[in-house]
Amino acid sequence: MSSLVKRPSGVASWYLPGILGGLVFTMKKMLTNLFNQKQMPTLNYPEQKYEYGPRFKGNHVLTVKKDGSIRCTACMLCATNCPAQCIKITAAESEDPSVEKYPISYEIDVLRCVYCGFCEEACPVDAIRMGPEWQTAALNGSKFTYDIQQLAYRAQLKGGVVSVLDDQERHKAGI
Amino acid sequence: MPKCKINGQEVEVAAGSTIIQAYKAAGIDICHYCWHPGLSVAGVCRLCMVQIEGMPKLQIACNTEVKEGMVINNTSEVVKDTVKWGLDFHLINHPLDCPICDQAGECGLQDQYMQFGKYDPEMAEAKVKKHKVVDLGPTVVLDAERCILCSRCVRFTEEVSKTNELGIFNRGDRSEIGTVEGKPLDNNYSLNTVDICPVGALTSRDFRFRQRVWYLKEADSVCPGCSTGCSVKVHYNEEGLWRVKPRENKEVNGYWMCDTGRDTYKFVNLKARLLSGRIGKRDQWQEISAEDATRSAGLKLRETVQKHGPDSVALVVTGQYTNEEYKDLLKFFTGELKSKNVYHWLNNPEKMKDFDGLLFRGDRNPNTMGLSAALAAHGVSSKWETLQSQLSGRKLKMVVVAGPENQATFPDMKEKIQMLSQADGLIWLTAGLNADLNQVGSETWQVPLKAYVEKAGSFTNFEGRVQPFKAGTTIVPQALTLSEAVELLAGRDLNWALRPKGLGGPKTNYAVTQRGTL
Amino acid sequence: METKLLTEHYGKDEYIKIDGYKKHGGYAVLAKALKMDPKAIIEEVKASGLRGRGGAGFPTGMKWSFLPANGEPRYLLCNADEGEPGTFKDRLMMERAPHQLIEGMIISAFAIGSKKSYIYIRGEYDHPIRVVREAIAEAYKAGMLGKNILGSGFDHDMDVYAGAGAYICGEETGMISSIEGLKGQPKLKPPFPAVQGYLRKPTIVNNVETLAAVKYIIRDGAAAYRKYGTEKSPGTKLFSVSGNVLKPGNYEIPLGTPLKDVIFNLCGGLKPGRKLKAVIPGGSSAPVLTADEAMKVTMDYEALAQMGSMLGSGAVIVMDDSNDMVDMLDVIMHFYHHESCGQCTPCREGTGWLSKIVHRIRHGEGTVNDINLVKTVSERMMGKTICALSDAAAMPAISFVTKFRGEFEDYVKKGNQVGGALHA
Repeated sequence: MSSLVKRPSGVASWYLPGILGGLVFTMKKMLTNLFNQKQMPTLNYPEQKYEYGPRFKGNHVLTVKKDGSIRCTACMLCATNCPAQCIKITAAESEDPSVEKYPISYEIDVLRCVYCGFCEEACPVDAIRMGPEWQTAALNGSKFTYDIQQLAYRAQLKGGVVSVLDDQERHKAGI
Repeated sequence: MPKCKINGQEVEVAAGSTIIQAYKAAGIDICHYCWHPGLSVAGVCRLCMVQIEGMPKLQIACNTEVKEGMVINNTSEVVKDTVKWGLDFHLINHPLDCPICDQAGECGLQDQYMQFGKYDPEMAEAKVKKHKVVDLGPTVVLDAERCILCSRCVRFTEEVSKTNELGIFNRGDRSEIGTVEGKPLDNNYSLNTVDICPVGALTSRDFRFRQRVWYLKEADSVCPGCSTGCSVKVHYNEEGLWRVKPRENKEVNGYWMCDTGRDTYKFVNLKARLLSGRIGKRDQWQEISAEDATRSAGLKLRETVQKHGPDSVALVVTGQYTNEEYKDLLKFFTGELKSKNVYHWLNNPEKMKDFDGLLFRGDRNPNTMGLSAALAAHGVSSKWETLQSQLSGRKLKMVVVAGPENQATFPDMKEKIQMLSQADGLIWLTAGLNADLNQVGSETWQVPLKAYVEKAGSFTNFEGRVQPFKAGTTIVPQALTLSEAVELLAGRDLNWALRPKGLGGPKTNYAVTQRGTL
Repeated sequence: METKLLTEHYGKDEYIKIDGYKKHGGYAVLAKALKMDPKAIIEEVKASGLRGRGGAGFPTGMKWSFLPANGEPRYLLCNADEGEPGTFKDRLMMERAPHQLIEGMIISAFAIGSKKSYIYIRGEYDHPIRVVREAIAEAYKAGMLGKNILGSGFDHDMDVYAGAGAYICGEETGMISSIEGLKGQPKLKPPFPAVQGYLRKPTIVNNVETLAAVKYIIRDGAAAYRKYGTEKSPGTKLFSVSGNVLKPGNYEIPLGTPLKDVIFNLCGGLKPGRKLKAVIPGGSSAPVLTADEAMKVTMDYEALAQMGSMLGSGAVIVMDDSNDMVDMLDVIMHFYHHESCGQCTPCREGTGWLSKIVHRIRHGEGTVNDINLVKTVSERMMGKTICALSDAAAMPAISFVTKFRGEFEDYVKKGNQVGGALHA
């Protein structure tokens, strides 16, 4: 019985032309990039950083209301929908009757998170979004559990992202 | 026994039953909100419309009696259209805030819309605004916007609890459920209104916002709150029990249970529980496994009997264990140890015969009857006073206590612990933690026992009805049943492979909790 | 044409007091009736073909014969909760001839064997309440009420119960709830009031005019009463004519009189230069008739039913070309939205919905689809509730948008032109 694997022909096993071809290619690219830096497709990370578009599914953002309080109503649809089960919410009764239910703790374990964006899809009130941030390095394992402080009010968000859905406006519209 | 035809199916019902009862008996789906088997007929939701041959108009099934030879259907296009529109009428002023509504997942509107509705809503008007987060009483919160005014809760307070706190105020689509000033919804059955509320209008203050219902699992059990022994279902997840709800049992509790019984989930949860065995005395405690603690206690117990005779030990039992456990315990004590010093610890004996007329009884133990029967079967008739004199006379070397599981029903815990600790050694078998027990001066073995949802067995209720129940979930993996504890006390082995494992608590990521600095 | 049977002595002030009333033959019929066999009275009323004058037109004698023949205590309730917009016949009866009502009631109570009756008068009728209360006191004094009336051995007590002005309390079971001290909401039927009514005892509820008419049937006999009216709708009926006629008011006419004659002869016709546009023949809950239909119809139960409308309480509302039908329906829908008791869902939510849609159309914010929606919603409300209030709201809505669709479409068009700011 003959082998199914095709043996390389004698010419192909002679590797020198391949190596030289590769070196020529690399040299060509290097020279183009050196003399034509603007069209260079790579970045000099970390001095240069790439800005992703707003629809990039990066780090989670909890949006806030106009008064700066958290928009989330603790409905737990994101946690229910999360395929990685990385969202943990503890709801509580708010003293403000117009708020009624809000999260006293909202934790995302980003080491479990698969960045699928289902939480964003499930949210009925635009309370959670996935933003363009993507650098999530940290020194300690416990730093990867993001709490409300981190999700809604981290420095990069500059005081919080305001949700597009406002209860007061909806009530005025009769909903 | 009139016979009728429902959707082409021949059904025979008891004389005088209504069409909706015939539907339920035949197991055929019918849309309804206001009808409840335990309440009078209101006929206001207008959803259980059926077509009866020979009648020009559609009739409501809940208020129409079945007559011999009736031909009924609820599958014709006319009925379907009526039900669809009936649902639409219910929903036009409903806020549809399912995501933040606590009822979502067990809501009648959601269920029936999916089953009978599924229309394109045409309502384009502003919804009627009503009161939200209304305090009806210490246990119940009302959201009037979500209310569909089925009047079940009102009828409940009128007909079952007979307290008449609730009423419907105002007219038309401005109608709201409410209470009269100075008379809040405050009775021992108030939370039944939450159970029968088909929507999220009435919510229990105790359970509200604590869990989404779709995370909870259900298990059948028997309420250990008093000697009535209502059939209940417990709702739990991996963190423990969250609530107790009544289960239909026409012979015992009908469709209801009391608010006191609903608190019985609290002493089952981890925070209130003894998690492992403990040996020692005041401020010198050693935590060891339940098994080792029980074995060591058994060794000491048997040694004492050998040295000082069977009268040097005593057994104190409360009425909160199953019949099967009593049998094993008494067999061991009266048979193997040959001691007749068995005492029935009664909490507030003067209230034992109290009854509120509906369900709740003064005897706050689920199995007083079972214990009395077991004691009688083993020929035990000791008086509590004998124990007192034995203790004060320093005649007892070891006392074994099968303490209460529901400690809140024993107001004399502290005094009794002090009294029993007059013995040289104390073996305290208990499901719950007790701060006073940690302060006793004599040498004590604390053995963690299982609570009622964790074990199978049977309770005998006040009227002698034996009610078996199954194990629901396991909250404390180490905890033993009383029978298992007896086996270990007697020096025998348990089949540990057969013991259930705990649910493991909430999910945590090991990488986060264990890994530390990279 | 005008046949004054019940209204014969309306003009005389002395008729209000018992002495004046007796002068005109008052309480003589009672004396005659008390000597009769109660069953004979019921038979007489049955033979007269008297139909309920409150709105539904149910034969009175038949209603009475539904009472179970056991010895249980039973009640007679007089429905004087005249809430139907456009109706004012009972008010006049109570103000001008209270003893006529009381005498009719005692005769009826004797016929059905009731020892206690109530007159349920709507709360806004402050003056009639006072007049009837005084009249009852007089009747007690004169021995027409109380123990052993006129030596016949028949005892009867009568009381006035003032309502609080809810339209729904004019529905018989709603009225029973109200008298029982509950919220005025209709009760489920069955059981019917004749079997289980007030305090769960057999109860007969009749309109003021019906009970007063009983007196004349007993006085003259069924045959004489049948001389008026048609075969199936015998007798005379009080009509409250309002709207754009020259002489609005209460008119007693035999049933079967052409509506044309009522408007143009009795009531003096329309204002000069105006054209008849529509007539509501039986109170706001009756479907509206167009001018053509109104010219053809005769005022009796059958003819109006054939026209797709109803005689109702006999409130004829006449509209000429100066009236705006959309405006009119908006007012009617607002009324039913306000008066729905809120018990049954289709009515509670449907009346509000209809009111909001019509309001929107009237303010120029509607669409053509909204006009269809009014009809669809109304159709789904009809016959789906405990009482007839949802039908009462749905029927005019359907008739207005089908018969005067053009006007509704005009509003939609106009509204689109001005950007939805009509009547702002």
